[in-house]
Formats: sequence, C-alpha cells, structure tokens
Amino acid sequence: MASQLYRRILFIFLALASSLTALAADTPRQVVVEAILAENAAARRERVLSLVGRGDEDVAALFAAWRGDQLFIYQTAEGARVPVQLTGEKDGEGSQTALKVSDGQPLLDAAGNPLRLRAGDLVAVEHNAMLRRAMKSVLDLLDLSAADPGVRIRAITTIGFAQDQEKLPALQARLAEENNSRVQKALREAIALIQLKAGNDDTKLEGLKELEKLHTLASTDFLKAALRDAETAGKPALIDAARRALNAVETHRTLVNLFGTMFRGVSLGSILLVVALGLAITFGLMRVINMAHGEMIAVGAYTTYIVQNVFGSGLSLSPFGFSISLPGLNATGLAYESYFIVALPLSFLAAAAVGIALERGIIQFLYRRPLESLLATWGVSLMLQQLFRLIFGANNVQVSSPSYLSGNWTFFDIIFGWNRLFVIGFAVVIVAGVWLVLTKTSLGLLIRAVMQNRGMASCMGVRTERVNMLTFGLGSGLAGLAGAFVSQIGNVGPSLGQNYIVDSFMTVVVGGVGSIAGTVISASSIGLADQSLQQILGNPVLGKICVLIAIILFLQWRPAGIFVTRSRSLDE
Amino acid sequence: MINYASKIIAAGALALGATLASHAAEKTIKVGVLHSLSGTMAISETSLRDVLLFTFDEINAKGGVLGHKIEPVVVDGASDWPLFAEKAKQLLEQDKVAVTFGCWTSVSRKSVLPVFERNNGLLFYPVQYEGEEESQNVFYTAEAVNQQATPAVDYLLEQGYTKFYLLGSDYVYPQTTNLVLLEYLLSKGVPIENIGGGLKREGGQIISAGKYTPFGHTDYQQIVAEIKQFAAGGGAAVISTLNGDTNVPFFKEYAAAGLTAETCPVVSFSISEDEFRGLPAAQLVGQLGCWTYFQSIDTPANKKFVADFKAWLAKSTVPGIVKEGRVTCSPMVLSYNGVYLWKAAVEKAGSFDVDAVRKALQSGISFDGPGGTVTTQKNNHLTKNVFIGETRADGQFKILKSFSNVYGEPWLKGKFK
Repeated sequence: MASQLYRRILFIFLALASSLTALAADTPRQVVVEAILAENAAARRERVLSLVGRGDEDVAALFAAWRGDQLFIYQTAEGARVPVQLTGEKDGEGSQTALKVSDGQPLLDAAGNPLRLRAGDLVAVEHNAMLRRAMKSVLDLLDLSAADPGVRIRAITTIGFAQDQEKLPALQARLAEENNSRVQKALREAIALIQLKAGNDDTKLEGLKELEKLHTLASTDFLKAALRDAETAGKPALIDAARRALNAVETHRTLVNLFGTMFRGVSLGSILLVVALGLAITFGLMRVINMAHGEMIAVGAYTTYIVQNVFGSGLSLSPFGFSISLPGLNATGLAYESYFIVALPLSFLAAAAVGIALERGIIQFLYRRPLESLLATWGVSLMLQQLFRLIFGANNVQVSSPSYLSGNWTFFDIIFGWNRLFVIGFAVVIVAGVWLVLTKTSLGLLIRAVMQNRGMASCMGVRTERVNMLTFGLGSGLAGLAGAFVSQIGNVGPSLGQNYIVDSFMTVVVGGVGSIAGTVISASSIGLADQSLQQILGNPVLGKICVLIAIILFLQWRPAGIFVTRSRSLDE
Repeated sequence: MINYASKIIAAGALALGATLASHAAEKTIKVGVLHSLSGTMAISETSLRDVLLFTFDEINAKGGVLGHKIEPVVVDGASDWPLFAEKAKQLLEQDKVAVTFGCWTSVSRKSVLPVFERNNGLLFYPVQYEGEEESQNVFYTAEAVNQQATPAVDYLLEQGYTKFYLLGSDYVYPQTTNLVLLEYLLSKGVPIENIGGGLKREGGQIISAGKYTPFGHTDYQQIVAEIKQFAAGGGAAVISTLNGDTNVPFFKEYAAAGLTAETCPVVSFSISEDEFRGLPAAQLVGQLGCWTYFQSIDTPANKKFVADFKAWLAKSTVPGIVKEGRVTCSPMVLSYNGVYLWKAAVEKAGSFDVDAVRKALQSGISFDGPGGTVTTQKNNHLTKNVFIGETRADGQFKILKSFSNVYGEPWLKGKFK
C-alpha cells in the first residue's frame, strides 16, 4: 500500500518535471504554433523540420488536422493571432469546439466559457506539397514503428532518400527487431544509402557492397552521385565498388524491362483480343463487314457509365429535349464499387440488344451483299455516334475505376496493374466461354452450320434467321463487354469506337478471318510486338508504325492471315 | 458542319434582327468569332465561343463600342486547319470584320496567319502557346512560355524537385515548349541526365526533348513504367503538355502504378477547369496546374464575372449551348480580356481602323479582368499575373503561389544559355 502511494507520488513528480523541462525548451506543440504563424513558406517549413526526431502523438494529430484543413487562425479582440483546431460535431450553425494548438485546451472567451467557432469565418492554415513532405519526414520516425508494413516502408524510403546521417541509428535499431522481409529489404537499402554519405571510406564501401547485393532501381541516382564523388576524390576502391553496384542495378533493370515488356505486351494483347473477339464472330464467322462494331463497344462503355451513376447520385440526361432523370442509389464504399460487377452483364445485354436490332433492321437484307453491308453499317456507326452526342453530350464522361481495379501489385519491380491483370484473366475467361459456346452447345453447332452454308442449313430445317440474329447479338454483346473494360483504362466519349475499330479489324484479319484461335494468337503477337518495339525504339509512334508495316508485309505474304479457314465452297 | 455553322450564323442573325427591331437604325460593327464548334477541339473551343458571345452581350448592354453595337459573325473552323484559313478569309474579305477573336491550337493559328497578314486583319489569340512568333496582325492575350511553363518550373525547383520528366502530345506547342524548358532547366543547374523522356540529337544539336505521344493515344503502360523507374530515387516531377483526352488514360495508368502527387507530382499545362470536367477527378487530386487565371481566385471582380457568366448561360438561347456544370478557365478569361482590351483600344484610337487600334494597343492599355490587371505590351503580348494551383476533388484549383505582373516574352529559345 505504502509502496503504491510512493510510486504514484514519484510518477506525478516525474511527469511534472518532464513537462517543466519541455516547457523551457519549446514543446513540440509550441513549435507547431510558430510554424503556423511563420511569415513565409520557407520559414514554416524550417520550423516543421525542426521537429524531426521530436515528434510525438500530439504532433501527429496536429499534422493530420493541418493536412485535413482543420487548423485555423483565430483573431482575438486584442488582435492577437491564435492558432486553433476545430473538432467535434458541428451544431446547427455549423460551429465546432475550438482547441488551442499551443496546449490542446479549449479556447475561452472573456467570460471564461469555451468558444465555438465556424470554419467559414476563419482563415484556414495553408499547406502545400513541400510542407506536407516536411511534415511527413517528422512523422516518418514515428511511422517507423507503425503497424502497417506499407507505412513503415514509405517512412524508411523517405529517410533513406534524404541520406541523413543522424537517422542511421534509428534505422539500425529498427532492422534488429524487424521481421517483415519487405520492410527488412527497405531498411537495408535505406541504411546503405545513408552510408554512401558517411565520412569514412570503409562505411561507404560497406554501403556500396550492400547496394550491389540489393541492386534496387531506386539506388541508381545515388550510386551515380557516389561514383562521381569517388572519381573527383580519386579513390580507386570506391570507384570500382560503385561501378560494380551500378552494373548490378543495370542488369536488374534489363531483366525488369524484359519481363515488364512481356507483361505489358500480353496486357495490350488481351485488350485487343477482348475488343476484337466480338468482331471475330460478326465479321469472322458471319462475314458481315460490321463498321458499327466500335459503336457496340461504346454502347457497353456508356452502359457502365449509366450503371455507375445509378449506383452513385443518379443521372439526368436530356436527349432530344426530353429530360430523363435516373434516381441514384447513393451507395457508398464496397456497395458502390460493386457497380462494375453489375455493369458487366448489363453492358453485354445492352450491346447485344442494339446488335440484334441492327441485324433485324438492316443487316438481314444484306447477307449476300458484303459491300453494301459495309456502307450501311458505316452509316449506322455515324448515326450512333451522333446519338451518343445527343444523349450524353459531346464531352467525354467520367467513369471512375473501382478501387480493386486501380491498384497494383509490384513484384520484382514490375508493376502488375490490377486492371491489367483483371483484363488478362477476363480475356481468358471469355475466349474459353466463346469456344465452349461454339463447340459444345447445340446453339454453337447451329451457328457453325449456318455460317458454313446458309442454304443447306435452311434445307435441314435450321431457322437460319433466328441463328443469324443470335450470332450477331453474341458478337455485339462481346463488344459491349469490351466497352465495359475499355471504360476502365481510357476515355468514354462519342468517338470511343473509332479508336478501336481499326485495331479490331487488324487483329481479326491478321489472325485469319473465321478463326477464333487465329484472333487469340494475332492479338497477343501484335501486343507483344508493339510493346517490345516501343521499349527498344523508345518512341510509341515509331513502334506502332513498325507494327503496321510488319502487318502489311505479312498480309502480302499470307493474305488469308495466320490461320486459313479452308472450305469446299467454290467461291473461295 | 457547314450546315451547323450556317445555323449558328442564322441564329445570330435572328437574335440580331430582334435587337435591331427594338432599337431601330442602330449602328453596328461586325466582329469575327473563329473557333472549332465541331470535331476534336470542339470540347474546348465551344466554351470560348460562349464566353465571347457573353462578353459582346455585356458590352452591348452598356452601349457598345464607340456607339456601335457589336454584331458577332460566328464561323466554325471544325478542327480542320486548312478550313480555318478559308473561314478567316471569309471573315476578312466578305464580312469585313473589324477584329477576330479565335483559334486554339497553334497549328490553326499558323494556318490563318498569312490570311490576316495579307488582309491586314487583327486576330486576338487567347490560348497558351509556344512563342517564337510576333505578328503585327495578331494580338496574343495567350500565356507565353515564361507566363506558364517557366514559373511552374521555378516553383518545382523551389520545392526541391531535382529530376524532371518531359511528356507531351506530338505537335508544335509541346515540342517547342519542352526545348525552351530544357534550356531553362540546364541554365538553372539541373544536370542533363536528370531530364527524362529522352533527347533526340541531330548533328550534335538537341532537336527534341521529352517523350511524345500522338493525339488519341491510349496505351500509357510503357511510359508510366518508365516514369516509375525515373522517380524511384525520389525528387522527381513530370512536366506534361499532353493535350485533351489523352490525359485520361495517362492519369488512370499513373494512379494504377501507385504514383501520386506526393511521390511524383505532374504539372500539366493543358488541363484547366474546363478540361477537368472530362477527367477522373479522384486520380488528379494534388497534381499541379499553372495559368494566369483560376476560377477559385477570391476577388469580388472574379466572383462577379463567374456569376454573370452563369446567369447569361441560364437565359442564353444559343442553339446547343451546354448549361449545366459550366466553369470558367484561363483561355476563357483571356478571351474576355481580349474583347475589353480591343474595346479600350478602339475608344483610345477613336476608330475601328486596324492600324490605329494596333497603335493604341501597343501604347499600353490596362484592363482590370477577373484574374487581375492585364496590360498590353509593345510586342503584342500581355503583362499579367501567373498562378500555380493544386487540383482539388471538386475540379477546382487551390492557389499555391502567384507571381504578379509577369511580362510576356515570346522569344525565349536560346535565351537561357
């Protein structure tokens, strides 16, 4: 009992003493006050940076409030400027509790009652990217022990890049207790980078050897700088070590670029494939030169846009002077982001419906006249583009990507964007699906029969008209699905289809008209060739030109494409 | 397209007819408006037509210019550069307009330039451009490179960035601007290996700096991967002169690769509030812009301008005009300023004669516009304020820094050696 009391007294005494010493030497809170009241950005930044290594939870909270525009300057009746933080619930007039930044206590009015202030009446304390970075470097040391490994890595890299000798012990201490391998690697890199700026050559050498082992891309600039320093100083051992480290990084970079290019090629190829697969059916199998294919893609993309808005705050459109407003579900978070899953089947159905209408309305009269179908579908394509303009306006519309499609997974320094991985996976799924439909279902059997010989199939009792309609619907629906994807990586506007129509025809023709396997192979080879040439030539335009020339030459040599569909028909 | 243009002219004529009917025997002066109202550039240029018509109405309501009401002659350049020259010819030779406000892309300006020079016309050009031009028949209210690009670079340098990746659309404005910027960065002590995007040399001379993509390019995977490696060591920023809707795939890819405004900010010279309407806002938050006007400028003059423009839009009867979600941006304000500067010059000269008006303009005329005071210069450019801003999720810019009264200097190539 007595000892407990004794301990308590001691604790209170210690706390008092520590707060007293802190007061004497400017508490971190007071430094923040000085920073807020500083005259210019440079002085402000300097004050913030003076907190490096002295940060505490108070500072972290204040910085968070600062970045969140919750810090304000309150002018007292005497004209003094008092920085305050507005917190808590807003009342009817929009005012909130004001806490003084200097001590975290409520701001009192003349009568001694807590003041409530409105954000709109006060001047918010400014911040810019550089100041936020300065705050970050203060918070970084705090972040070294954060629970989230991502936050730890970010803190460690920032410290490493700054090459600040004083922080070396903190990093080494952290390395001793760290057990996440990614964080360990970041720590080793940061320590090595700091060592490059060390006073003595042995430490520098140690840093260079470590970086040679780690060969991270981030270290290139620092290694180059170290090499230059070593060359000016004329230290052969250091020059040699720096060169070897740089070579290791460059070897690593070559590998990263090689595999990265392959991945990007496959990803571009899968987009071409998704976009061209619908055409492989309408043009490849049905032999309809469907110039409106691009607009089917646009129908899918606009459907995604509508679904997104219905999940959000609704949409009002005014086509032809009518005003239509779709109510919004006002979903948030995961529910909102699931809009894309709903948009996929809907964009398939919407485009399929437009496709069926097009087939019934125009194309069914033109099966024996391919050139007329070209002209007619081109006309339809122009009309559809104008229709999009009338309904959605001439400007592009915004389709935001759900968070599960806008991150990336970085492995071996290669960026695997989730949207790209998703589209590759999706391409595999729909190709497999189309293959199954065409070869394993009775509809597929009928489709193949009708496409081979319309007259004969009709004689055998196949309702060719219905099969034509469904096949065209399937091809258009696939284009619609492609549209849903394209909306995640590019623009959605009235001329969206025009950007893809040439690529689609190119892919189908190179692959061999009528062959799904050919389309798959041609899409992936065009994608790979395009990305590799772009990497080698360092110029996206030249890369594309080379691919087009190669395709022209290839078609001179094999006019029927990679896979030639042979038949017994006399006119082929 | 011709149909569309003639419809607009017809509508203008109708509106005019109405005014004429009410104020019989009123004197008018014809003024040309030459922008693309169809084609790829229509998205941006239609807004300029709107703001010009608004300005004419505002001036007419106060009695016009020298007692003459402004009669706009609106023609459509249709994003077709040779057509711009023909339309300019029509404005100058048939309609005999006193002045023309128009053009957006540098290539359209280059296309109409000989027409204006031959007929001694006067063109007010409102959009940021690459410089290296100073025609007596063009008045450049536009931002010169030193009123947009170099202040932005100064800001980045001041913020401690040391590496710069140059990226742009492949045409005259980005190519020339990046060459000037390259010289500028080198003159500021940035080593050449810290400039990303690639350099093209011919005979020892650098003829192109940075990475260029064509209009309508959609695949930015490779470029973003390159930027990611470029920025791996920290301290890097991207200077982008990408035009129009290629910004959408670029910024989507940029965000997907995990690059943010904090790790590697992008300063874009072609994204203003108006372009922002078609861009993914969430992915652009914190990225930088540099213009001589932002809608968020907090002055009574600007608030009045924005409110007046919106009120005008609400009751406008121009066919096909977009009324919802409209914003104001720098090229719009520079168009607006241009009309008022022309009015002041005409009043100073006491005549609509091009030579007299030019002389008045070159003598130095000031106008208090929404973005602050602008003053005409002897070299047919404008002295004006420059602002650097950071994009917010609501499509507006938060102003970070401003430079006041920056002198417009078109001849910059070779100046920073």
